[in-house]
Parts: sequence; structure tokens; C-alpha cells
Amino acid sequence: MRSPDAVVVYRAPLRPLLAKELRDIVSGRALWTMLLILCPLVGYGFFQAVALYGEASSAAREAPVLAAGLSPLDGVLVPTFGALYLVVTLLFPFVAIRSLGREKETGALRLLVQLPYRVPTLIAAKMTAIFGAWLAALVPAVSAVVIWAALGGHLYVPETANLAFGHLLYGLLVGAIALFAASISESSATAAIIALAFTIGSWVLDFALAGQPGVLEWVARLSLTQTLRTFEQGLLSIGLLLGIVAAICGFAALSAVWLHPGVPLRTKFVRSIACVAAAAMVLASATRIRTSVDLTEDRRNSFPAADQRALAELREPLLIMVHLAAEDPRYVDLRRNVLTKLERVVPRLTIRLATTGQSVVGSGSDEGYGEIDYSYAGRADKSRSTSPREILPLLYALAGRPVPPPGASEEYPGYPLIADARPALLWFFGGLPLLIVLAWRWLRRAPQIAQPIKDGDQP
Amino acid sequence: MIGSTAIQRGRTAAYVPALMEVAGVTKRYGEQRALTDVSFGVNAGEVLGLIGPNGAGKTTLLEAIAGLLPVDDGRILWRGTPPALLHRRDFMFYLPDGLRPWDDEYVARLLEFFAAAYGRPARIATEAIGALGLAPVLRQRIGALSKGYGRRLMLALALIAPQPLLLMDEPFDGFDLRQTREVMGVVREVARNGRTLVLAIHQLIDAERVCDRFVLLADGRIRGIGTLADLRAQTGMPAGGLEDVFLALT
Repeated sequence: MRSPDAVVVYRAPLRPLLAKELRDIVSGRALWTMLLILCPLVGYGFFQAVALYGEASSAAREAPVLAAGLSPLDGVLVPTFGALYLVVTLLFPFVAIRSLGREKETGALRLLVQLPYRVPTLIAAKMTAIFGAWLAALVPAVSAVVIWAALGGHLYVPETANLAFGHLLYGLLVGAIALFAASISESSATAAIIALAFTIGSWVLDFALAGQPGVLEWVARLSLTQTLRTFEQGLLSIGLLLGIVAAICGFAALSAVWLHPGVPLRTKFVRSIACVAAAAMVLASATRIRTSVDLTEDRRNSFPAADQRALAELREPLLIMVHLAAEDPRYVDLRRNVLTKLERVVPRLTIRLATTGQSVVGSGSDEGYGEIDYSYAGRADKSRSTSPREILPLLYALAGRPVPPPGASEEYPGYPLIADARPALLWFFGGLPLLIVLAWRWLRRAPQIAQPIKDGDQP
Repeated sequence: MIGSTAIQRGRTAAYVPALMEVAGVTKRYGEQRALTDVSFGVNAGEVLGLIGPNGAGKTTLLEAIAGLLPVDDGRILWRGTPPALLHRRDFMFYLPDGLRPWDDEYVARLLEFFAAAYGRPARIATEAIGALGLAPVLRQRIGALSKGYGRRLMLALALIAPQPLLLMDEPFDGFDLRQTREVMGVVREVARNGRTLVLAIHQLIDAERVCDRFVLLADGRIRGIGTLADLRAQTGMPAGGLEDVFLALT
């Protein structure tokens, strides 16, 4: 039973806490320094992307068939947002750490945890402030998109929004990791080392282990970089989305576990194990979800609509045995052109690499190397092709179905554009940084004092 | 006198628990014992001084009471019942020593934030500002405040916080003589208005002026508990000051 002396603040207002957390992030130099570094990086990335896109477009003018390969998503948006990715990986942890690190260093945390807010509420408020900081970091990239549109560039809203959404999830994941690092560290410097170990470490993991077979491939998939790749390909994968959200919530929960200085270490460890177990269970479930939405205008992650419908009706198990090494370029082609698309549409698909551990070098003695076996409903066939034009008819033959007629006007036209983005450099190197500095000064101004408080010294 | 023996005597029909009791609190840092079986009670409305030299364990004890430091043994009781660790903040507010939190924040905004978080009317913040003379620095950043104003700001936060028990670590540190007397007046006023205060003080003269009762700590152990008269009787020094009594007991 609650003592009559207790201070009963059942619903402490959230607004003052959120405002304080936002002010904490905004008042530090880390956010503004990051923004000032981000402007030229995004600007130069955008300028280079538009220039290269223009060169490719001029070739398409002479050979119109090349135009179909010109997608603004690959040509302009992904490279432009690449600068945001770089900065979020390397600098955003410092911004996020500030939301808690300074409070731990100055002892303010000991006041904060005495306020009538639950610890999860405090963490949620800090994550909201981190989200606000990420939104600020999005400004240069958004301005690049606006300039692209102003130059006459084509934008397909679903794929653009999907890319931005992927970067948002990545930013929140990095922010949650940084917050967790700050909650277990006594100083911001230690927290930064831990957070960068996660972000840069997973970067290295991605470089070193990508394309490796077996367990190494699975380990490489844990890289944070992988979270963005699917969005850059224009896919909205429900499993990946659930996995990232689970990871964000997991790190935020761990931050909450480690936040309160009065909780014994053993209790923190026990609660951490529970958090990690819960997050791992959700992640494991997420890997089983294969539902994804192809949000690209050119439908690069899907077969033509008629094939999609026909393949979705293959109800029997389809087994594909690939006799190729994982690092073999033919396997890479096969995966990109056929397997990933089949995974999205065929309900009961199993893909196996028959040559696990085998490398491209030395595989010449295996006569079956390079073959791909297809088994469906008791029938089997094999092929060495990596092209859907040969593989899909083979699958229809196995299923005893006719090849569906191609749909009308499904060809992606491509959007070539020759534009001069040099004037935009003035914005990214001059105008936007100036606006950022002005915003910094404006937000740091002394507050207007409410009259009752101003009169505090009056009798 | 409420001390460890009183707590161990057990509950009788006439027993009225103290506002807060510290029962057998022990805290170790590795092999070193910072607090050893510390037990005492705090009565409602009193100003209790935790007295001891630097390193006596005063800060450790206050943090342990406030639930900001895990202890190895012992309990904190609020009116005879142990509150959950995270619910101690419902009853008490702890003001650490030497704190300069949120140094990029403006003074006015921090005071407004505290008042808003606790749902306190603007009048409370205004009174705290007036009592501690903070009006001239409201538009200054906390990091730019002088040491004295920094201390006043922290005291203002404690005044805004509504809990019935205030734990303050070295509340008079950093003030000159005149300021110390002013702040003592504020502290006494707070107690007169019904709140209970536990003050960790290493300046015995300050403690003698402001506290009703004392808990003498040295090397993490309690060496004496009671009013100055109790302690004088305990040491057989009827005319001794707190300083003399403290030296005799430690």
C-alpha cells in the first residue's frame, strides 16, 4: 500500500521531458558539427552522382535501349544517401551518446532517475530525441532530392520513401546501440569506443565475410550494413523490418536495464540475459518471414507480373540444388536474377548449395560443377543458365504449366537526364551550412522568462 | 534516541516507527568496507545531521538511502515498510554534492523542467528562486554559473521537489559566511514547513547551528546518535561543543 507521505505523480507530463531531451541534443556541438560535415559530403556525392548519371544518359541518347537501365534510385538516390550512411555510421554515435553520456559524467543522471518518470519512459524520450537528431541529419539528403526534382529528375515516391525509411531504421539502430554503450560506460569516450566497435566492426565484418559460404555468410548477415542493402534494392522486407525493430527495441531495453545506478550488477545481468533472449527469439522468427514488397518502379526484384502470378501457384515443394561456389560470379548472377525473385514468390522453395566449402579454383575436376538441379513434384531437370528467360520455362515445364504470355507495356522506360548540378554545390558548401550555423545560434539563444518566475526575487 | 539498538528491540504494541529507518546497511568496495552495519532512524520534521570527516561514508550512506547505490546488506524502511528500490523517489529526494548537471541548459529552463515534471505550480518555483536569490542568473547557462549560484540552483531543485524527506550532501559547501547563514535560514524554513531533512555536513560548526539531531560517522561506522545534549551526556562533556563531542567519540 502506498504511504500517505508518498509523492503521487501518476502521470508525469511527457512534454517537459521530451523538450529537455531535445534541448540536450541540440545544445551540444556534436549534432551541429555532424550536420556541417554532412552538407559537403552529401553535396559532393549528389554532384558526382548527377554527373555520372548524365554521362550514362548521353550514351542512352545515342542508343535508346540503354535508357531502360537508367534508374534514379541506383544512379542518384543511393549514392546521395550513401553520404548519410557514412556519417550516421561514424559520427551519429557521438550525437546519440551525448543524450546520456553527459548526464552520467556530470552526475545529472542521479537527479534524472529521481524524477517521476519510469526508466523505460526516460529511454523512450532519449530515443525520441535521437530520432529528432536523425531528422536533422536528413535535411541535406532531402534537399538533394528536392534539387534533383528541380533539375527535372524523375522520382518514384515508393522507392524513394522506402530508401529513406531504411536509413531511418539504420539511424535508430545506430542510435540505440550508442545509447546502450552510454548506459554501460562511465564516460562518453568509452561509450564512443564501444559504439564504434559495433558500427565499424560490422562494416569490417561485411567486407571480410560477404560472399563467404556457410557459417561465415550467416555471420556476415549480422552486419549492420546489411540492414540497408535490401532497402537500397527497393525491397521492403517484413522479416528484415521486424528484425531491425527487434534489435532497436533490444538495445533500448538493455539501455533501460543498465540506466539506474542503484540496481545491483547481478540483477542487471539477469535482466540483460532476458532481454537478449527475447530479442534473439524475435530475430529468429523474423528470419523465417519471407514476405517482402518490391517498391521499385522497374520491378527489379520481381519477375514480370504474369510470371509472378504463375509462379505463386506452384504449391508443391520446389528444390533447387546449385553446384556452384558461393563466391562464383555465376552464382551471384543466379541469385540476383532468379533465386531472390523466386524466394519472394514461390511458396515452398528450398535452395541448397551443393558445393559448400568448394572454391571456384580447383572445381574444374568436378564435371557437375556449374549445374543447377531443379526438382518439382517428382520431376527433375538441370541447367547451367543463370537467366530467367531459360530457367522459368524449365520450371513451368516441370510443373506442367504453359508459359504465361508476357503482359503488355511492362517495360521500364528508364529516366535519362543530362543535368548540371554544379550550382547545387553552392547550396551544399555555402547556403545550407550557413543556415545550419544560424539555426544553431537561434536555438542556443537565452529563453524568455515567464513573468511569475522572473519575479522570483520580488517580495 | 533512535539508533540501532532501538531498531533491533523489535516491535511492541506501542511502537511508532520513525519516518525513515536505516537498518544494518553495509556497503563494501572490494575488501574495503565503506559502511558497516549502519542503523538509525529519522523523525518526521527534524533536521538530522550526518556528521563525519571526509571519507567517513556520508555520501555513500546518502546514496544508499536514496537507492542510487546498491548495498551489500541492510534495509531502508519508510514508516516501518521497505519500499521498492525504484519507489524510494516517491518519498525522498537526494541532492548530491558538487553537482553541475546539464551545463548547457539555462537556469530558468531547468527550474521550469523540474517544476513541470513534478506538476508543481509556478508559485513553488518562484518561491525557490526568491528564497535563494536566483533571479539575476535565470538567463545564464548552468555551466557559466559561479560555484555559489550553482549550489543555490541545486538547492532550488530540492525545494521544488515535493518529497517529504530531503537528503542533501554538503548543502553549505561553497558558500561564504553570509550566504551560509542565509541558506541555513532557508533550510530551517523548509523544516518548519513540515519537511524532514538529512544533511551530510563535515563542517561541525555549520552542523551545530542547523541540525536538531546528529549521527556521527567515522570509518563507515556510527559513533554516536542523538541531540547535542544526548551526545554531551554520552561523553560526559556537559559544556562541550559538537566538535569536542565528535573528537571524544571518534
